[in-house]
Amino acid sequence: MKIVVAVKQVPERDAAIRVGADGRWIEEEDLSYTINEPDAYALEEALQLKEKHGGEVVVVGAGPERVTSTLREALAKGADRAIHVEAVDLGERDTLGVAQVLADAIAAEAPDLVLTGLQSDDLGLGQTGVVMAELLGLPHATIIMQVEVTASGLRVKQELEDGWFQHVEMPLPALLTMQSGGNKLRYATLMGIKKAKAKELKTETAAAAAASPSARLERVYLPQRQKHTEMLTGSPAEVAAKLVQILKNDVRVL
Amino acid sequence: MRVAMLHCGGATAIGFLGRAGDACLLGTLILAEPEHFSGTEITLLLLAMLASAGLFLQRLWPILQTIHHAQPEQDFHLRPLGRRTAAFVWEVLLQGKVIRQRPLPGLAHAFVFWGFLAFALVSLNHVATGLRLGFLPPQSWAGRFYFDFAAVWALLVAVSIVGLFVRRFFVRPIWLGEHLSYESGVIAGLIFLLMVSYLGAFAVAPGGSAVKLLWWSHTAALLVFLPLIPHTKHLHLVLSPLTVFLKRDSFAQIPRLHGDEDFGLVAGKDVTQLIALQTYSCVECGRCTEHCPAATTGKVLNPKEVVLGLRSYLNTVGPASEVPLLAEARPDTAYAPTLSMEAVFGCTTCGSCEFQCPVGIQHVPVIVGLRRGAVNTGTWEDDYGTKLFLALEKHGNALGLSAAERDKFVTKQGFPIFDGTQEYCLWLGCMGGYDPKGREIIADFARVMHFLGTSFGVLKKERCTGDPARRLGNDLLFGTLADSGLKSLEAAKVQKIVAICPHCVRTIAEDWREYGIAPQIEHHSEFMARHRDRLPQQQGQSIVYHDPCYLGRYREQYDAPRQVVQQAGALVEAPRHRERSFCCGAGGGLAFLGEEHGERVSHVRAQELVATGADVVGTACPFCNTMFRDALHETERQPQLLDIAQLTARALPSQPPGGEP
Repeated sequence: MKIVVAVKQVPERDAAIRVGADGRWIEEEDLSYTINEPDAYALEEALQLKEKHGGEVVVVGAGPERVTSTLREALAKGADRAIHVEAVDLGERDTLGVAQVLADAIAAEAPDLVLTGLQSDDLGLGQTGVVMAELLGLPHATIIMQVEVTASGLRVKQELEDGWFQHVEMPLPALLTMQSGGNKLRYATLMGIKKAKAKELKTETAAAAAASPSARLERVYLPQRQKHTEMLTGSPAEVAAKLVQILKNDVRVL
Repeated sequence: MRVAMLHCGGATAIGFLGRAGDACLLGTLILAEPEHFSGTEITLLLLAMLASAGLFLQRLWPILQTIHHAQPEQDFHLRPLGRRTAAFVWEVLLQGKVIRQRPLPGLAHAFVFWGFLAFALVSLNHVATGLRLGFLPPQSWAGRFYFDFAAVWALLVAVSIVGLFVRRFFVRPIWLGEHLSYESGVIAGLIFLLMVSYLGAFAVAPGGSAVKLLWWSHTAALLVFLPLIPHTKHLHLVLSPLTVFLKRDSFAQIPRLHGDEDFGLVAGKDVTQLIALQTYSCVECGRCTEHCPAATTGKVLNPKEVVLGLRSYLNTVGPASEVPLLAEARPDTAYAPTLSMEAVFGCTTCGSCEFQCPVGIQHVPVIVGLRRGAVNTGTWEDDYGTKLFLALEKHGNALGLSAAERDKFVTKQGFPIFDGTQEYCLWLGCMGGYDPKGREIIADFARVMHFLGTSFGVLKKERCTGDPARRLGNDLLFGTLADSGLKSLEAAKVQKIVAICPHCVRTIAEDWREYGIAPQIEHHSEFMARHRDRLPQQQGQSIVYHDPCYLGRYREQYDAPRQVVQQAGALVEAPRHRERSFCCGAGGGLAFLGEEHGERVSHVRAQELVATGADVVGTACPFCNTMFRDALHETERQPQLLDIAQLTARALPSQPPGGEP
């Protein structure tokens, strides 16, 4: 089975984020980058499927030159090849534009299965996977915890709300967006890094954006921490009633 | 003369021989030798010698071949010879380690060893006599002197070997192994026969049949003994002097990996010549196991069995093989727990085994080498281990907390950032930067530095030294961390570092060398001991000091922390202290792995410390501290638990003289 994993490089989780001067993106200097967490799980799933059923795992990542470090890490963990779609203007493209860049590279591979994270740690739009599926003309399923290969295709475990799951049967080829935590990630090894040196990392140049973006980032800002105390007054019965209203309507925990 | 000798030889008590002749007046007993050997006897002797030597070489030769065909030792240097010679003289010739660590059996062994040395000349002359080539006539001045000298040793050897026999077969210490070694009994019998047949020759007349009988039984014992050497653990007679001389440079030293195919000890092909030599030198005394915190608390690990497992691998599979060393990776064989991942990952790298070993086996590089083989190839799968590695990869600290937590702590404490103007860089470490108790220790040590007027700063960003990754065998992660640590120290132009954690000190000072030379680093015990004259002398409390493995055996700092403790109260020693200190259970990355099987190492040690009756348990390592913090909840009595920095800081005035620098 040939599996393509689309990965995104994002700032480290505990990096000290500073908003850029124009207020529309963050300062990228001094930031360290890593693989998007759900993408790490997508890669892990792909590697486990390959270990079970054989085949090939190809990782694809788009972005500036720094993205290659994340692709190298994926090779070190066990991917067979990597494709770097070089583009420095991804920030100015909308989801469709980014998905198009990735879909172009993936289509050329004609994979049996495409895996990617359900969303990214930085923007969290959760759209790239499903838009890619549309562009590639593949059936897709989202928020997948487990993948099983069956005689007719796949049986996947999909996360629903409130701790519910459902199992879905689907044909191949297909695209799945993976949830974090379904597997145990593996650690990078010396042997992996040494082997990765000999593996192919191909760089392709992204096609120029076809259309102007239909959506763009207006402003990024750090979450404001606010402490707000409201004293409820009245008889115990009144206070309790008010409290229930707030918990139901404002805080929405009831 | 003949009569005198007869009389002399016939009686053993010198006092009765007053008128028997000059020799006897001098109190000299003369060894009786057979006077004549027939051609048949000589032929028989020659054939027996040939057979004995043949059987000896038949086993020794393949062993030497195995060692020879093992992986050549890459970073091996014979120089400096001084250190090697000193180890040889102390450990081999003087039997220093053998005696010091097990005094009574050690002394018995030493007598046997020295006796053997004394007997070299005797044996040579003995066999030569049988070939009519005797060169040391018993009547000559030199002969009389030397044979009497050897007789004294023969007596000591005979008594010692009986003692050792009684110990092995009647006292039966468990460290010698569950099964009685009958070959040891045979060897002991042969040695006894050698001594008795030698001593007997002083008591019989020369030329008689008794002399012949004694001579032949002595010869037979010699010729049977020789081939038994390479076939039994007595091979150490031949190999261990060499092993001790050729040991790797420093204690628990983890060798570099070489080339793209070296991941540590994965298969037979990775076993180096030095390791092969060491495994064949093992005398199976079990000192390593006796002092092993894992083996003595019911874990699978048994360092002696790891060495013997390697030896058996070399004997059966061979040194150039691709067959994996660890049992879990060898589905072809029955599960052998002695050489398994489960065993080697139970090691705290405390180094007791290596320190104790009387024949120069270096266990820690072997155990860490086997871990390297499993981790560097991704064969080791352990949820806690993976979590630790991912935490170190991602957050740069072993506790898996956000690096921002350290920044907050540094700001809250008001620690200046090191900018090149301060004398010391205070290395916080994972415990000092993230762990609540470790932070208390760092804060108190900072107070001590303030009080002494020593300027210091902390690094803006600091990542783990890589100690747990190093000991668990993750070379990729360790290399990344060592490299980034060296770069940040260089960028900050640090000249001198002081740290509260012996693991940080060891890793920066020794293990980082593979990646570059780090600035000079010392442990806070060394710093405080140097300034102890200026620190307040406290009275009253008794403090039992626990030697951390990485400060004691690894760094040989036993006195400095004790000087600090003595400044803070009355020092009490635990039964096992200094070089023989017992581990807290945290080292080797084990603090981050799952629950132990069997008894907890920390509990055993905590109970021992509490039993001393001391008011305070004094530690010098934040890992020991954290282990005892938990263990002391379950002891009968709960003495205070304080790091030596806290012991010192508690007597300081709340405001340092001259205010905050």
